[in-house]
Amino acid sequence: MTLNTALEGKTYPPVRVTLDEERVRAFARAVGHRGPGAPPTILTVPEIEAGLRNVVSDPELGVDLAGVLHGEQTYEWSRPVAAGETLTAEASIESIRGRGGLQFLTLRTDVRDERGEAVALARSTLLIRDQE
Amino acid sequence: MSPRFEDLEVGQELPGRTRLVTREDVRAYAEASGDHNPLHQDDEVARAAGFPRVVAHGMYTMGTLASWLSEWTGDPAALRRLHVNFRAPVLVEETIACGGRVRSLDPEARTAVLEVWVTLERDGATEWPIRKSEAEVRLARRSRG
Repeated sequence: MTLNTALEGKTYPPVRVTLDEERVRAFARAVGHRGPGAPPTILTVPEIEAGLRNVVSDPELGVDLAGVLHGEQTYEWSRPVAAGETLTAEASIESIRGRGGLQFLTLRTDVRDERGEAVALARSTLLIRDQE
Repeated sequence: MSPRFEDLEVGQELPGRTRLVTREDVRAYAEASGDHNPLHQDDEVARAAGFPRVVAHGMYTMGTLASWLSEWTGDPAALRRLHVNFRAPVLVEETIACGGRVRSLDPEARTAVLEVWVTLERDGATEWPIRKSEAEVRLARRSRG
């Protein structure tokens, strides 16, 4: 199946996520984070809740999780995040590009704090292989 | 010991880090991150996808790389940007090695652009789960103690 490129620009509803301290500790242990502050990629938590989870369950897209690979990932941090913070994440489909049985979907997620100030920008590029 | 901007040179390699990717850590990562794709938890699903056993999340490997970089800087505000290309799977029970090299320096902004990577050894060959990837760090001025 071919993803509908008309879905470029589609924005998912913003999601509020509180970075529960125990969850941040568990995340830090899992990735071997010994440094100061919270693990930088703890932003994956709001990113999944706001966007990545929608992409694989959006009937308009019709993505089969079994055919999805993570191709590229970028984080741009405006400031570090701390355990206990509440963040708002809003995801949108930035681009859909095709190449034969392989398509590239780039999802952009903007993460803000409770004052509405930018915390980080996340970009995920998924490789979606044809399952038929 | 965290680096001083003045001590960095283009081409300089960062002190690397190796880490054994355990099944327990990958399971804990799935729980903590919210990524419950069964490819990362169920050997049967991983085998059906052509892997000998469970594969770590790409984001697990990137998270390990990001935390190592952040620790190297010694400052939670130093890491500004990290872009990675995922090029090869990491299987549980393999040992990954995070590495990096200074690509360019901007003394005015006190930023360094680093080429970063993650490798592992499998069947006598080096695999590159993350390569052609880049980080930008900004090292704050420190008062001498």
